Amino acid sequence: MGATFVVTLREAFEAALLLGIVYSYLDRVGARAQYRWVTLGGALGLVASVLGGVAVWFLSGPLLDLGPDLVAAAVIFVAVALLTWHSWWMRQHARAVTGDVQRRLDEARATQRLWIVGLVAFTGVFREGAETVLFLWGLMSQVSVSGFGGLAGGVLGIGTAAALGWAIFRGGRRLSLPRFFNVTSVLLMLVAAGLCSTGFGKLQALGALPATDPLWDSSWLLNDGGVIGGFLGGLVGYRARPTVFEVGAYGAYLIAATLVFFARRGPADQAPDASEREAHVG
Amino acid sequence: MRQVTPIFAVGALAGLVIGALAAGAFAADPPEIAITIEKNRFQPEEIRVKAGQPFVLVVTNKDATPEEFESKELRIEKVIPGGKTLKIRVRALKAGSYPFVGDFHQATAKGRIVAE
Repeated sequence: MGATFVVTLREAFEAALLLGIVYSYLDRVGARAQYRWVTLGGALGLVASVLGGVAVWFLSGPLLDLGPDLVAAAVIFVAVALLTWHSWWMRQHARAVTGDVQRRLDEARATQRLWIVGLVAFTGVFREGAETVLFLWGLMSQVSVSGFGGLAGGVLGIGTAAALGWAIFRGGRRLSLPRFFNVTSVLLMLVAAGLCSTGFGKLQALGALPATDPLWDSSWLLNDGGVIGGFLGGLVGYRARPTVFEVGAYGAYLIAATLVFFARRGPADQAPDASEREAHVG
Repeated sequence: MRQVTPIFAVGALAGLVIGALAAGAFAADPPEIAITIEKNRFQPEEIRVKAGQPFVLVVTNKDATPEEFESKELRIEKVIPGGKTLKIRVRALKAGSYPFVGDFHQATAKGRIVAE
């Protein structure tokens, strides 16, 4: 029971975290009416996960050998793009808070960009969703005296992840607005950097990028096969034996994201667009 | 406008990389090594391969339940539905021992690849 609890908790936590953040984000920017996009995205992510899980049973040959890997790699990089976009947007809000926050939010709503939070919810759920569906399916099909504990553990793991997502949502509402934007955009940045690194590791394993030796070995300190290491691996991309591509992707993403999100003060701020300047002045 | 550009940039990158991946994956013809999952255990539990040479694991899941072949070190995570066989390409390994597990039944499904 303990083992299945850990598996589903780990798989579902990323989705719960992202859902918690986007829900509280909408709450904080006064766009609760847009919850439906997140709910819809999450629900569609669930449907896609079930379909994906079912599809694996019907695949065979090269489609089964490679198909899921290609989908997984694509979803990873799409998720990186979406999370980048979302944290960039939150940074804009964070900056606007010092100026005229309401006007910026009205602007965002007017341009109908909030539906993209639905996509964040979709990829968040779908990324580990198909795997979790197959896992639970396996548990259900072997329900017996011994299997029942496993199934209970699996369901409990998802429930716990959901509770943690809810706690994040509640916690997000308690933070001051600027702090909320700062904390969540940094958190999403770390998640995106981890995904980016995971994506490059996957591409190396699949042979799309050359194989390289591990840059270091910190498994003596924190093993990525263990519970905590595995958890950190899923969340922020921790690897006990990272390759140069993984470390490079992680670093490059963090540097690029930091430059884009945080270092746009001073002269560079003058140029870009008028609304940005007005927000600062106003 | 500015907030859309990164999405396209990453999307284009992903497209390129996946193209390269698909092309690379069907290129060579490395040796195949069979491994079976039965009663939530791997058979054999130790696989010996030549170091420095890529190979293909042909994994057959004889159980009714799905299993996930996972190796943190090799960055492999592959779900194998019950009763199915699939191929996992593994890159050339340096000499050493590389553990793997069945993620869905970690208590029993354990093994290692020994490259020498």
